[in-house]
Amino acid sequence: MSVVSYGFRTGVSAFFEMATPDAEAVLPAYLQPIEVRHQRSVLAVTAFLFEDSDVGAYTELMFSVIVPPQVAKWGEHAKAGFYPYLAATSSAEARRQRGERFHFQYLDEDIDVRFVETGDRCQVKAWARGEPLVDFSVTQRTWEDTSHLLQGYSNCENHRYRSTVQISGRYTVHENEQGSMTLYPHELTAPLLAQEITPYPFREHWFKNGREVFHSLEQF
Amino acid sequence: MPDAPPSPPGAMEYDYTNFYFGAGEDAFALLAPFDDWWQDVKPAGYYLYELPLHTAPSTRVDVEDTKTHEIRKGLINFASYNYLGLSYRPEVKEAIKEAADIYGGGSSGSPILSGTTLLHRQFSDEIASWKGKEAALLFPTGYSANVGTIAGLMRSGDLIVADQYAHASIVDGMILSKATSRFFRHNNVGDLDKKLSRHEGKKLVIVEGVYSMDGDVPPLAGILEVCRKHNARLMIDEAHSAFVFGSTGRGVAEEQGLEDEVDIHLGTFSKSLGGQGGYVAGSSQLINYLRGFSRSRFFSCALSPVVVAGLRKALELSRNEPELRDKLWENVAFMQRTLSDLGVPTGDSTSQVIPIMVRDDARIFQMGEEIFREGVFINPVKYPAVGKHKSRFRMSISAAHTKEDLSEGAEIIARVLRRYAICP
Ligand SMILES: Cc1ncc(COP(=O)(O)O)c(C=O)c1O
Repeated sequence: MSVVSYGFRTGVSAFFEMATPDAEAVLPAYLQPIEVRHQRSVLAVTAFLFEDSDVGAYTELMFSVIVPPQVAKWGEHAKAGFYPYLAATSSAEARRQRGERFHFQYLDEDIDVRFVETGDRCQVKAWARGEPLVDFSVTQRTWEDTSHLLQGYSNCENHRYRSTVQISGRYTVHENEQGSMTLYPHELTAPLLAQEITPYPFREHWFKNGREVFHSLEQF
Repeated sequence: MPDAPPSPPGAMEYDYTNFYFGAGEDAFALLAPFDDWWQDVKPAGYYLYELPLHTAPSTRVDVEDTKTHEIRKGLINFASYNYLGLSYRPEVKEAIKEAADIYGGGSSGSPILSGTTLLHRQFSDEIASWKGKEAALLFPTGYSANVGTIAGLMRSGDLIVADQYAHASIVDGMILSKATSRFFRHNNVGDLDKKLSRHEGKKLVIVEGVYSMDGDVPPLAGILEVCRKHNARLMIDEAHSAFVFGSTGRGVAEEQGLEDEVDIHLGTFSKSLGGQGGYVAGSSQLINYLRGFSRSRFFSCALSPVVVAGLRKALELSRNEPELRDKLWENVAFMQRTLSDLGVPTGDSTSQVIPIMVRDDARIFQMGEEIFREGVFINPVKYPAVGKHKSRFRMSISAAHTKEDLSEGAEIIARVLRRYAICP
């Protein structure tokens, strides 16, 4: 697969603690969750506002379990891995394309995601058919330029895929526990509502004006 | 479309968590990548860990700089736990020498077989009497006291809820017990209440007396109220608070007037007594049970009698010289004031553990190197030992520090932090 690049205006990713058995239930047998502490794994709730892509502008909401990256050789390995398992976008074309390219599974309906910046906070609100899906927020610390090398895992018809993703842009991260999340009942969020997920993120990432570049998709 | 190959981040952006799981089938698959990373990051700052001391852990120390191979002499020491300055007192050293003459170097057996000497028995009785409890049990380390007590008592299907900042030895005890584990938001009674709900059966709540990275203390009254509501037992690890908090030094539970309400009292001898070992104290039934079920004690050699002799003397000194605690708290107040006057950010500590909050993961090692070279021995702490951008220097104050040590040390730290615009 050739390199594919998506320019974004805003990207927000909040890390919440979830019970490890719940994370294990989501993951295929060959992946294991990273634990922040004993029996507590990581649910990443991520939203992007893409402005520059080959399917135009659109928004995306994704729930992933954080997994360890494959350690190959020092100097080449990614910083973290993620396994998206609940995802939705505002554009049918975007989910068709990303679904085909990366084998991520998307909700088969358009959603709407808004990013509201007030003071030092970015509030993300997502709806489907006018009904709220999730509200979550992160706050800023100091901004710096960053470049994150990640591995995205996906599964399709018993095939295992791994993509290498580089996210660059202006970036702030901290663990001051100032963010929040409220989930609303919906087909997408139903599996989460029954679980014990912390109502605040332990880590808050916020990107601005950057690019998400998919470098490779390997079957392994 | 950009088509440059992906560029991995710099070595210092990785940390231990990136080498926890490997891809290869070989059990050694992670060794080489970790080692390659380590060679890169060690000179950049990780070398600041495990620097060999060439002197006793007193208020001034000679420390080997493993990067330049120099011995840095007379550094002001804010890194050691010797909160009462007892480990190198002549009386302690004398007691150690006497015991070595009688017992030699080690105890040569598990405490339940041949490893218990008269000194061990006397010392565990003294610990129980000092704590005002029916009985106490000695462990080889504070780490093993936590592991052995928690896993000795709790089982699969039970629930353990610990403060989110609980020490690794508490967490490892929870893992070993196979009980369901939850963590409540630091010092947050409401969250503890939530975490205790929806569970039938045995429950244990675990807090610390002084949190080792932040230096703050738990709100015991509120925590106890919630424990009672849910029929949960409460254990306190007074590793950093025993011998220094409370009017007779029995710890934070004494200070907050709640000693009888707390079910399990645990602590170490490695901090304020400046030695080694751990204890658990409580009812004789509790201790009798743990004597049979704490595997970390049962299956491990007893403390060296030489160490126990030093600890007995240190305990005696700490009980007979309450002025040591007065001096410690005077030093803590003086240092808090001095750091505050210099604009050094210090977090919410109310104890002799004072975090210098630099919150700069990328540059903390650089600052650490400068502070070390300019005359202060203090440990940098960064992710994953604490959260991202919560990096700090962990400062330990001792009763043995002079005001000059404290002022000079604070001045050096502030001078370096000023270069990084962390203080004015
Ligand atoms: C809260 C706490 N508990 C237990 C321990 C372990 O004690 P020791 O070093 O005596 O094994 C420590 C040590 O750092 C600690 O901070």
